[in-house]
Amino acid sequence: MNKAAFRGLFFIIVVGALLFRLLGLDLRPMHHDEANQAVKFGRLLEKGEYRYDPSDHHGPSLYYLTLPLAWAFSKTTLASLDEVILRLLPALFGAGVLLLLLLFVKGMGRTAVFFAGLFAALSPAMVYYSRFYIQEMLFVFFVIGFLGSLWRYLLYPWTAWALSAGLCAGMMYATKETSVIVFAAAGLALILTMVFQKIKPQTPYHFIAPGFANFFLGLIVAFLAAAAFFTSFLKNRQGIWDSLAAFKTYFEKSGADGFHIQPWPYYFKLLAFSKSGGGPLWSEALILALALVGIVSAFALRRQKWAVPSPARFIFLYTLFSAAVFSIIPYKTPWNLLPFYAGFIILAGIGAAFLLDLFAKIPVKALVLLVLAGGIYHLGLESYRANFVFYADPANPYVYAQTGTDFLKLVKRVTDVAAIHPDDKKMLIKVICGPYETWPLPWYLRGFERVGYWQDAGEAGTLFDAPVIISDQDQAAKLRPLLEDKFQSEYYGLRPGVFLVLHIREDLWQEYLKRSLHGSIFYGDVILKRCRNRP
Amino acid sequence: MKKNLAIILAGPLVLICLGTAALSQSQDQGKEELKLQLPKPMFIGTPRNIKTTNLEVITGKPRGPFFVPKGTALVSLKKAVISSDMQPVIGELSFVTDAEKSGEDGYFVELGPGKQWVQIDLKAEFDLNAILVWHYHSQARVFRDVVVQVSDDKDFIKGVTTVFNNDHDNTSGLGIGKDKEYIETNEGRLIDPKGAKARYVRLYSNGNTSNDMNHYVEVEVYGAPAK
Repeated sequence: MNKAAFRGLFFIIVVGALLFRLLGLDLRPMHHDEANQAVKFGRLLEKGEYRYDPSDHHGPSLYYLTLPLAWAFSKTTLASLDEVILRLLPALFGAGVLLLLLLFVKGMGRTAVFFAGLFAALSPAMVYYSRFYIQEMLFVFFVIGFLGSLWRYLLYPWTAWALSAGLCAGMMYATKETSVIVFAAAGLALILTMVFQKIKPQTPYHFIAPGFANFFLGLIVAFLAAAAFFTSFLKNRQGIWDSLAAFKTYFEKSGADGFHIQPWPYYFKLLAFSKSGGGPLWSEALILALALVGIVSAFALRRQKWAVPSPARFIFLYTLFSAAVFSIIPYKTPWNLLPFYAGFIILAGIGAAFLLDLFAKIPVKALVLLVLAGGIYHLGLESYRANFVFYADPANPYVYAQTGTDFLKLVKRVTDVAAIHPDDKKMLIKVICGPYETWPLPWYLRGFERVGYWQDAGEAGTLFDAPVIISDQDQAAKLRPLLEDKFQSEYYGLRPGVFLVLHIREDLWQEYLKRSLHGSIFYGDVILKRCRNRP
Repeated sequence: MKKNLAIILAGPLVLICLGTAALSQSQDQGKEELKLQLPKPMFIGTPRNIKTTNLEVITGKPRGPFFVPKGTALVSLKKAVISSDMQPVIGELSFVTDAEKSGEDGYFVELGPGKQWVQIDLKAEFDLNAILVWHYHSQARVFRDVVVQVSDDKDFIKGVTTVFNNDHDNTSGLGIGKDKEYIETNEGRLIDPKGAKARYVRLYSNGNTSNDMNHYVEVEVYGAPAK
């Protein structure tokens, strides 16, 4: 592929990746985790308050990097934010991953980078979590930046690449605690790549081990970047120590019995073949299969046609080690596959280019291209379905503990009844739910000024002073005798198999009925428009 | 003289009224809004991902015995079913009366989104003593606006008796119902038609808490020949 064609095609891929990531960002109801992060960010935005929590919620980079976006849209309060502004950050970082793939052009070649970019742009997993306000896509961005910088340093041991690797390493650490897995996997991969190059060189090129000075400089930059975020920009010096203390928590959590324990092949099954709930078959097997071809090419006898070696071995070793560690850890959530799946995507790009290069005859080459085009079309179709049709449907393998669209009907009802209550947005709302059933209510009720959260009905005080009570099922059973039929109760689905019960005081309910039967239009209709179900 | 007396009596009265009003105003001015310190939500990690089927009884206790007049029998088995959606998304309308009550895929019929109904023709008039409905029970769901009507008119224009209605906000336009919403379980929902005489049974629903679709695994109508 010549330079001009590559530039044009890669630009189109980046634009396509942006479209896939940016359109309809408010379609999916906020996930429990997204709402947690959003409310935490709201505190930072409104009061400048943030303190790293070593027990949960990962690193601070997500919140601080959201700040410029919120300011750009002139948002200064949690209530003024919306899903689009928040999800814009991971969406931009998700598309940014494609640009970082350009770091591998030297050694990998333009065709391989083009295919890797195409796979990254269309992969349902990559697109789905690029539209998710959690740390994952930022983490993947910094991981690819780190691997790319290491690779460039290996080829050209310039200080700039050492600094770049250090910055990405610091940002990885400030984003997710699992960065240590990536550090270990990348470090080991780097050493073994140099060993392999000596034993079985792809080209006569000799890697130079990183010099102490550059290594030290990279380390300083990494420390400074991480320290700036963990200390909340020097407001909380304890933060840097807390970041170390967090490893104890995460180590315990990784193996403890809990909700998210899965067998080792979980991630591969998810990627290769998923089908449930009468939904369609999901598979990213194309990427996995081409990655295998890429791995074969890394150790093939054929010599590289470029002057510098291919990063295939380095990426393969990194992917192997990181995938092994993430798979061995019993604690698994689907988004945790991304740091090693990004490696598979690069290898798949190498594999696709290798296949095209392997066959000299034009008809065979055309056949390979045709098969690849079919696979890529299927990948794009799956991505469309995952993000625009099955975005909250458990039949989608990447939908995990996701808030259902029915929940938005509860929000609409609360908004509607508040609209006819004299206190409107100051109407008292009592939420009596367990912590897992509470979220994402704090995000959706952020516009209400008087919302209280309790975990037990006995602690919520007088119940009749609240025109609206929202409870989980357990608390609804406790509330039933206390409410004495003076509230109208309705069920709403929160997540599959999990319900919330909305209790509306009878006087307000009767007024609501009177007005709704006369066709009044309520504010909540705006929210209901977003509430779309699969056809 | 009388006029002076009236002024003398009315004067203090007006003064008292004005004083009380002023006092009351000053009390209002002295008030301030009570600032309630409401508890904040507790931050917590990712909740459990539920994907497995749920066939357990959610209400806790199994349904108690239900007594019907002697001679009552299942009168809906294999009877013809029509629907507001004659081209179901999944399954066939015959599933509604085929006696298969499994919650798995392949045993339920899925009708389109929004308000939909199914109607069973019992082929003769019966004294109806029980109607048992399973919408969907492989996952805990609540079906919205469940309304069950019986009639001798196949078009449900005249002689319609509503035997169950939990459409509490009249979304379906069939009147406000006082029955409660319920979570689907493998026990189904038992409705007491209290001996209503009818040939046709029509069941409405309007989506559910998981999606906007309408499902039926089975409907059983129990009755005795009309007296």
